[in-house]
Amino acid sequence: MEKKNKVTVMDIVLLVLSAVLCLGTKFLFHACEVMEGESIMACHWAEQAVTGVAAVLVIQAVLLAVTAGKDTRKGLSLAMIPTAALTACIPGGLIRLCMMADMRCRSVMRPAVMILGIIIAVCALVNAVLEWRRA
Amino acid sequence: MKKITKSLSYRNLVKRPARSIALMLLAAFLSFSVFGGTIIVGSLRSGLSSLQDRLGADIMVVPYEAATKSDLENIVLQGNTGYFYMDSSYLKKLAAMEGIGQISAQFYLASASSGCCSIPVQIIGFDPETDFTISPWIKKSYNRPLQDMEIVVGNSLNAFVGDTLTFYGTDVHVAAKLDRTGTSLDTAVYTNENTIKTLIQASLDKKLNNFGDINPDKVISCVLINVAEGYTIEDVLNDINLHVRKVEAVQTKNMISGISGSLKGISDVIGILTAAIWILSLVIMIIAFRMSVNERKKEFAVLRVIGASGKKLFHIVLTEGILVSLSGSLIGIVVGALVILPFGNFIEAQLGLPFLLPGGLKVAGLACISLVASVTAGSFTGALASYKISRMDTGLILREGN
Repeated sequence: MEKKNKVTVMDIVLLVLSAVLCLGTKFLFHACEVMEGESIMACHWAEQAVTGVAAVLVIQAVLLAVTAGKDTRKGLSLAMIPTAALTACIPGGLIRLCMMADMRCRSVMRPAVMILGIIIAVCALVNAVLEWRRA
Repeated sequence: MKKITKSLSYRNLVKRPARSIALMLLAAFLSFSVFGGTIIVGSLRSGLSSLQDRLGADIMVVPYEAATKSDLENIVLQGNTGYFYMDSSYLKKLAAMEGIGQISAQFYLASASSGCCSIPVQIIGFDPETDFTISPWIKKSYNRPLQDMEIVVGNSLNAFVGDTLTFYGTDVHVAAKLDRTGTSLDTAVYTNENTIKTLIQASLDKKLNNFGDINPDKVISCVLINVAEGYTIEDVLNDINLHVRKVEAVQTKNMISGISGSLKGISDVIGILTAAIWILSLVIMIIAFRMSVNERKKEFAVLRVIGASGKKLFHIVLTEGILVSLSGSLIGIVVGALVILPFGNFIEAQLGLPFLLPGGLKVAGLACISLVASVTAGSFTGALASYKISRMDTGLILREGN
C-alpha cells in the first residue's frame, strides 16, 4: 500500500521562501535598472542567475511537498542546502556588482538574496534533521 | 518542584498557541524597537562624528561661486560629483595671513559615466607634503607614501587593492581601500597632487568637462586651514572674507549644522516611536496576562486545593511571562539585526545622512541590553498578574457559578 504524503509546516516554509527569493529577485529587490542605450551592468546578470537558481529551489521545494518517501525527502532537503548557499553567493561573490555601495544591487538585492539564501539553507538543514529523526 | 513549575508554565504556553504567539510578538516588538532604534540613532551619531573627524579642518576656503551655488555642500556632504577651481596663487596669499596654523590645498575632479571612465566618482587630490586631513586617515589603511598614478578608494566602492581603474583614458592603480566612515567620503577616490593634475589634463584633452580655459598646474579647488594657537576661528574667518576677494571662507562646523539638525529630528522621532511602542505593548501585555489569569482562575484554584502554595502559583505565572518575553525578545533582536545590519547602505541612501553602523562587539552589547530591558518589562507584566493570582480566595473562586 502506498504511503500518503503529509505536507509539513517546514515544506510550506521552504516553498514560500524559495518562491519569495525567485519572484522577489525579479520584481521586488531587483538589481539596478538597465538604462536604454547604456551597456548592461554585471548586476543584471547576477539578478538573472539568482532568479534561475531560485527557480530550481522552488522546484525542489515543490517536489519535497509532494513526496512521501522519507529517504527521498531527506535527499531533497539536503540538496536544497548547497543550492540555497549558491544563490546567496551569486551577488557580489560569484558575479561582481556595481561600484557604488548605495546602488540598488548592492544596498537592496545583495543583502536580501543573502539573508533569504541563508534562511532557506538553515530551514532545509532543519528539515533534513527532522526527516532523519523521523526515520 | 521547580521542574513541575517550569513544565506547567511551558505546557500552559504550548496548549494556548494563539495567545502565546500574540504575547511573543508583543515582546518581539519591544526588543525590536529598542534594538533597532538604538542602532539607527547610534549609527547616525557615529556617522556625524566620523564626518566631523574627516573634515578635519577649522576653515575651508573655496571660490565664491562654489559657496553660493551650494556646490561645496553637494560635494563634501552629499557625495555628489563635481568640481570648481580657483587660482593657485590664493594658497600663498592665505598662507601669509595672520593666525594660520596648518594650510593645505585640495583638488576636485569628477569622473564621467561614459566609456572613458571605470565609474562616475568624485576624485579628490591632496598635497602629501602639507595635507593634514586625508593623510592621517589614509595612514590607517596604507602606511606608505602614495606614488604617482596610485589611488586610495573609499570603502563603499567595489574596487580592491591591485585593481586598475581608468579615468579619462588614464589607468590608475588601487593602492589601498579605506576604512568605512559612513559618510559621502566613502564613495570618493583619493590621490596625490601630481596624479590629479594628470587626470585634470586628461579630461581637458578629451573635452569631457566644462572647465573653460584652465591650466591644471595653476589651479586648486579649495584650501583647508587649521587656525594657529592664540587665534579664534571667527577672527581668521572674518579676516579672510574681508581681505581676500573672490573667495569665501566657510567654517566646517557650520557646514554640518544642517546634518546635526536632521539628526536631532530623526533621533526625536525614533525616541517618541519607541516610547509609544513600549507603552502600548506593555499595556496590552498587562491586559493579556490579566485576562489569561482570570480565565484560568479555576485551574489555579484546583492547584491550590491539591497543595500548591500561593508562591508556587506566582512562580508559574511569572515563569510564563519570562518564557514568553525571552523568546519574543530573541525573535525581535534577530529580526532587527537582519533588517538593519545588512541594509545599512540602503538606510543611509534613504536618510541622506552619514550612517556608520557600530562594530560587532557593540552590536552584541546593544542586543544584550535590549534583551534584558524587554525581558524585564515582559516579566514585570507577568509578575503583576501572578501577584493577583497568588492572593486569590480559592474557596470563593471554586463556588463561583454554582
